[in-house]
Amino acid sequence: MKNLKIKGLILVLILTAGQYAMAQNTEISGFARNYTGVLFDNGDFSILQNTLNLDISKSGDKVAFKANPILYTYNADSLDLHFRELYLDLYFANFDLRIGKQQVVWGKADGVFITDIVSPLNLTEFLLPDFDEIRTGVNAVKFDYYKGNSTFGIIWLPNFTPTEMPQANSIWYVKPDFLATPTFDWSKSDVKPSLENSELFVKYSALTSNIDFELMGAYTWDDNSSMHIQKQLDLSSGSPVLTVLNITPEHHRLNIGGGSFSTEIKSAVLRGEGAFYNGKYFQTEDMLATDALVEKDYLHYLVGVDFSIKNVNFSTQFIQETILDYDENMLSEEIENTMTFVARYDLLRETLHLELFSYIGLTNEDALIRPKVTYDIEDSFSILLGSNIFVGDETGRFGRYSNNSMVYAKIKYNF
Amino acid sequence: MKKIRIITIVFAIVFATGTTGIAQDLTGKQIVEKAYNRATGDDQTSDLTMTLVNKSGDQRVRTIKQFTKDLGDIEKSIMFFVSPADIKNTSFMSWTYDSDESDDQWIYLPALKKTKRISSDSKSDYFMGSDFTYDDLGDRKLEDDTHKLLREEIMEGKDCYVVESVSIDEEYMYSKTITWIIKDSFIGYKKEFYDEDEELLKILSIKKIEEISGIFLITNSEMKSVQKNHSTSMVLSNVKVNTNIPASKFTERMMMREM
Repeated sequence: MKNLKIKGLILVLILTAGQYAMAQNTEISGFARNYTGVLFDNGDFSILQNTLNLDISKSGDKVAFKANPILYTYNADSLDLHFRELYLDLYFANFDLRIGKQQVVWGKADGVFITDIVSPLNLTEFLLPDFDEIRTGVNAVKFDYYKGNSTFGIIWLPNFTPTEMPQANSIWYVKPDFLATPTFDWSKSDVKPSLENSELFVKYSALTSNIDFELMGAYTWDDNSSMHIQKQLDLSSGSPVLTVLNITPEHHRLNIGGGSFSTEIKSAVLRGEGAFYNGKYFQTEDMLATDALVEKDYLHYLVGVDFSIKNVNFSTQFIQETILDYDENMLSEEIENTMTFVARYDLLRETLHLELFSYIGLTNEDALIRPKVTYDIEDSFSILLGSNIFVGDETGRFGRYSNNSMVYAKIKYNF
Repeated sequence: MKKIRIITIVFAIVFATGTTGIAQDLTGKQIVEKAYNRATGDDQTSDLTMTLVNKSGDQRVRTIKQFTKDLGDIEKSIMFFVSPADIKNTSFMSWTYDSDESDDQWIYLPALKKTKRISSDSKSDYFMGSDFTYDDLGDRKLEDDTHKLLREEIMEGKDCYVVESVSIDEEYMYSKTITWIIKDSFIGYKKEFYDEDEELLKILSIKKIEEISGIFLITNSEMKSVQKNHSTSMVLSNVKVNTNIPASKFTERMMMREM
């Protein structure tokens, strides 16, 4: 209750500051949205969410600032208020500096995060949130140097932000199968802020008349923690019985190098993206492996194409993840193939929008199918009806959520 | 994401600088060529207000801030949507080449914080739900059509050439267009568009022409869809010409900086 009062007070302060900001010719925009979903399985609400997203900004020739507080309310009693972004921009002749909490988006892929790894993800609702809401803002200093149509950028993150995972009481939480009740040691799960533990990302990009491309490198942390597993076995009965299971989540350093490109061929746009990850940890059943983990290098890449037929816009991507120097004891697949497919069609002078978006797990024969219809009742006011349908092998990335298939509606007002 | 492509809103029918007086025995092609060979300045800045009106009289308004610059063998354009709120700060950039090279076009979506390359094809698509297609708004090459002088006619007190243009591409969306071009100034005053069945589809009317820094520019026009009883008006304001817009304005950096 006290926490709710504090958040309410912060909201009042923000709105008051907003009024003051408007008096200073600061721009305020954003949206208000209701999002309600119902599970097919049992008719329960999958989500009851109201959102107020504010963009407060002021921009000049040499300096700008932006604040993006976002307020979520869930059900009748839960409030989540935080700043997605809060930063200052400094503009110079040939370079810009951005300091503060910010979202960073890299790469040419849609809905797939290969080189787009600066901002971690909020997976508390799996992959369902809009892409601007699925990325978490990070404290960073971003330096971009411009020469012609090229940009060289460096981003320094002084403190690490991990992937946000669903809570144990969430319908999106996947409870691991343990042969014994585990004891978790969280003492190593945080990465203490320090210069030594900071992250560094570099990128060179260019927009040219024939091709757009990016080259990137990163000295970073794996946003997902690795589970260090220590077991104790009781052999007294003749067969080994697992009696103690200690699990220590810990983040590990990753070195990443990669790039992406986009070019037009005939009337289609061809896109590609790939990255080499050095030092990623994977679970293994190899009894000789320390903490049931092995360190391997890993490749993640895609090719995609965007095209139109008879005013219907299509986009498809083929994605592959490959573990190098694979061994059969590893729990992950050596090669995992996925596809995405999008079809969009606009009607009634672009007031009615039909869309079908799918993730298709080719390796596990599962899929997430997302049809939706959006109608712009008037400019800036829209209603959306959609469905998220999880099908296929229940061991797959998507099929495991087959009980979470749902229908949902969103009403959104932009201002 | 709506699939949207950049256009250069300079209108195809504009005054050819300094050409007045009587043109004796001109062919249709020569008349259209004079109308096409306009002076538009080395660069241009303007605010565009586009108003869509349906048969019930309901209006939808889009406002855009746009910049263009002629860099010799390439023309670069960038535009920023100012309203409505759901597309505010979306920006588009286009590089158009004098050669036969295809345009390069990009869109920046502020919600995604990403610049995407988009196809410059599909010029028959309608721009933002309006009655203008991308082809209507872009620069059509003289050689894309055959032009025939039909007659001379007084239109609303203005002495005009009436020229019929037929695309050499049989798949083109219009079977023909008929343009009224004012004789003494070669300004396009009215244009009729005919569909594949040679039925009148829509009419473009010029409402206002202004002289800005010695350049005559169409600052108010209306496209009326006869078949669908829908209209779109395009009004340019705050027009500035030859202000030495820097080439650095037409970069990804500026697209992402928003307004």
